[in-house]
Amino acid sequence: MIEFVNVSVFLGAALSCGVGGSAAGLAEGTIGMNAMQALGRQPKANAQLLRTLLIGVAVTETGGIFALVIGLLLLFGGLNSPDSAYDLARTVSFLAAGLAIGLGSMGSSFGSGYTAAESCAGVGRTPSHSNAVTSNMIVGQALTQTSTIFSLIISLLLLYLVPDMAENQSWGYQIAMSGAYLGAAMSIALGTIGVATGVGFVTGKAMRMIARFRENASTFLRQMFVGVAVVETCAIYSLVVAFLLLFK
Amino acid sequence: MEGNAVDYTAIANGITHGAAYLGAAVGLGIAGCGVGLGEGFVAGKAMESLGKIPEQSGLMTRSMLVGMAVVETCAIYSLVIALLLLFAI
Repeated sequence: MIEFVNVSVFLGAALSCGVGGSAAGLAEGTIGMNAMQALGRQPKANAQLLRTLLIGVAVTETGGIFALVIGLLLLFGGLNSPDSAYDLARTVSFLAAGLAIGLGSMGSSFGSGYTAAESCAGVGRTPSHSNAVTSNMIVGQALTQTSTIFSLIISLLLLYLVPDMAENQSWGYQIAMSGAYLGAAMSIALGTIGVATGVGFVTGKAMRMIARFRENASTFLRQMFVGVAVVETCAIYSLVVAFLLLFK
Repeated sequence: MEGNAVDYTAIANGITHGAAYLGAAVGLGIAGCGVGLGEGFVAGKAMESLGKIPEQSGLMTRSMLVGMAVVETCAIYSLVIALLLLFAI
């Protein structure tokens, strides 16, 4: 017979790494593209551009690495006990854990990729401002990665906190809990795609402005933090609903 | 679980509740997706305008917050619907 728990585990691992990795790859390609364009404009700034490019790509990779970690935990973490073969809610929770981090890291990758791409373009335009741009870029990218951390928390809770159902639980209860676990993953995963991309748009524009007018950097940073805080509220709503569903 | 007679009422009840949970989450997720992106555009363009007129930062922050507050209402609608689906069914 088909071991449905294995189907769920394999599908979860594949979707987590595939979706998460594709977004990270696309975002890193954008950074490299902008860096190459800037290098064509200012070949003398190659040292500063290389530093900004490498730091930006490394931070953007975070989401892909988290997706890989969850994928490996699903495959080799020793999570599925023999009892869970007839446990619908536990089976669904593995797929949900993979989807949560896979889709949830997409937005962060796009956002921090846009931030680093704008930073590379800015360094290419004004290489003398590269220190200010690169240090503020790390702050901006860290802000975009909060959504990945939310998704990682939900994903790890789905992997390790969901109990094996008691033997006498009815199918009705199990179906309802499957919906709740899949819902917790979907809430945080879909909710953070737009939020983290939006945060990345704000921080990216801030980097562009800091590269152009470094003397007003403190004004831009203040505006950036206010804007990011308001955008982030949507991710908090999703996180709250995900927690409510997990502990239903 | 296998030997017993199947209780169709309980299964229907479970499907209803599961659909409500999934619906609440997917609704909030899709709404949050668009709202976050929209608010990001507002704040990003405010940043560009701030670069042009840095001395008017108070005006810029105020207008940005008004624009984002209006966008945020959509996320709050979804949150209300999600909480209703979670607790009122």
